[in-house]
Amino acid sequence: MRMRRSVKDGFAGYLFLFPALLLFIVFVAEPLVVSVYLSFTQYNVITPHRWTGIDNLRQFWHDQRLGLMYGNTLKYVLILVPMHMILGLLLALGATRGISSRWKYFYRTAYYFPVLVTSAAVAVAWSFIYDNDFGVLNYLLGLLGIERIPWLQSPKWVYLAVAIYSFWKFIGNAFLYYVIGLQNIPRTLYEAAEIDGASAAQSFFRLTLPMLSPTIFFVLVTTLIGATQIFDEPYLITGGGPGDASRSVNMYIYEVAFQHHEMGYASLVSISLFLIILLVTALQFRFSRQWVSYNQE
Amino acid sequence: MKRYGARLLTDGALLVVAAFMFAPFLWIISTSLRLPQNSFDLPPAILPTTFNFDNYGEVFKRVPLLAFMLNSLKVAGLIVIGHVFISSMAAYAFARLSFPGKNAIFLIFLSGLMIPGQVTIIPQFILLSKLDLVDTHAALILPALINPFGIFLIRQMMMTISPSYEEAAFIDGAGRVRGYLNVILPMSVPVIAMTSVMTFIAHWNDFFRPLIFLNTAEKMTLPIGMTVLNGQFGAGNLSAILAGVTITLIVPMLFYIFGQKYLIEGIAGGGLKV
Repeated sequence: MRMRRSVKDGFAGYLFLFPALLLFIVFVAEPLVVSVYLSFTQYNVITPHRWTGIDNLRQFWHDQRLGLMYGNTLKYVLILVPMHMILGLLLALGATRGISSRWKYFYRTAYYFPVLVTSAAVAVAWSFIYDNDFGVLNYLLGLLGIERIPWLQSPKWVYLAVAIYSFWKFIGNAFLYYVIGLQNIPRTLYEAAEIDGASAAQSFFRLTLPMLSPTIFFVLVTTLIGATQIFDEPYLITGGGPGDASRSVNMYIYEVAFQHHEMGYASLVSISLFLIILLVTALQFRFSRQWVSYNQE
Repeated sequence: MKRYGARLLTDGALLVVAAFMFAPFLWIISTSLRLPQNSFDLPPAILPTTFNFDNYGEVFKRVPLLAFMLNSLKVAGLIVIGHVFISSMAAYAFARLSFPGKNAIFLIFLSGLMIPGQVTIIPQFILLSKLDLVDTHAALILPALINPFGIFLIRQMMMTISPSYEEAAFIDGAGRVRGYLNVILPMSVPVIAMTSVMTFIAHWNDFFRPLIFLNTAEKMTLPIGMTVLNGQFGAGNLSAILAGVTITLIVPMLFYIFGQKYLIEGIAGGGLKV
């Protein structure tokens, strides 16, 4: 009887899994293998692919534009990751203090709502906000006596433009993760710390930060992966410009694959980005043991 | 006294940021109500001073905005329906059944979460173009039906359901299919609602895949249609463009009002257990 049930279960297991497994093989596993294979070929989708060995790899090492894109992507990472991590935490700390739940709801709505709106729609509006002559932002700066800033025309300012938009659109993500993490810290711990005479700074560094470390780690990993793969924000607001100044690796992959139809080389570049993300994420998990504490009850 | 000052400073900073978050929305809505010839006038409108609703009519006349929204609704809606069955069936197998290779398959699914979209999109494009599915909604729907994150979340929830509920049904002669349909699935409605809200919003707003897969205007979803809208009016009539943008805010607003409970539970429940 027992035996029959488990054999039947085994069959049922595969049956229940079948649709998901089939889709996973067709749209995730097989594409990954094909991507690696395509990296050694030249293929424009229309004519049959041609095996070119390490030609793509040679092109990869000498591709100066790609070097520039990797530099740009690194800039995005260095600007956006600390911004979301630190400002998101500060906002969450402010919005979880002893304030009425009505205020908490107000702040949560204000900071989180932009996350839900359609990026492609609001980015169109933001590209007008950044307009040099008619833009709202330069108008407001003018009121403060600050000269017009060429937000989208200068290779330097364009990063600040993307960062401000990214803050407005996505800070709610980090904010909400932190809010949930902070709310999960038992109140009694703070009361105990206060009885022991801990100062506000002490209870923040000795209690809040260690208790929040799993959340901080999660936000770090996800924002870093997100920033490395950045596409929508520069594509919609800067178009990668001026010139290539704000073009990310992911925008380059899109350009090579879907505008130049060089599927082979684009695959190689995408694999390179994947390997970098994998390596950085693995390193983060490796070093997380030193500062992330999960055993906290 | 010092504490009072610090508190005032914190409140002030939080309010300034909140104002910064609201301001673009106010500007978008106010400007959409201006006369087209005044649309670029400075000072910018933060609160509406004129109420010219013609821009809204103009948008619908020049751009098939309603069709874009219906396309988005169709694509995101079908993805959600497919996801509910495919993910919950797989989650049921992982949570309630035992079969050889279960843990290995589960781990492979989870590692699929690590593979970024740009690696798989090129072979997916090649595959879908061979199947003649490029420039169809199927190209957006089919690859999105596999959602390892959803499977993971639903499995976590199903594992907490006591086996005795299902065993009671087995005694009454039910098989696994009825156990899944009549017992486990109804008990998993909260987590399924949660993943459905998250899935819907992600695909309602998705820009990258429609950009690659859709070419003809009639098939475009809302995010990709917004670039058409921008191109249609050029720099001529900002008010009309922003009227279009305002219309796109309606669905996310409804989702925030009615779906936030599920969204926040989803983030709290799944996100932090990496």
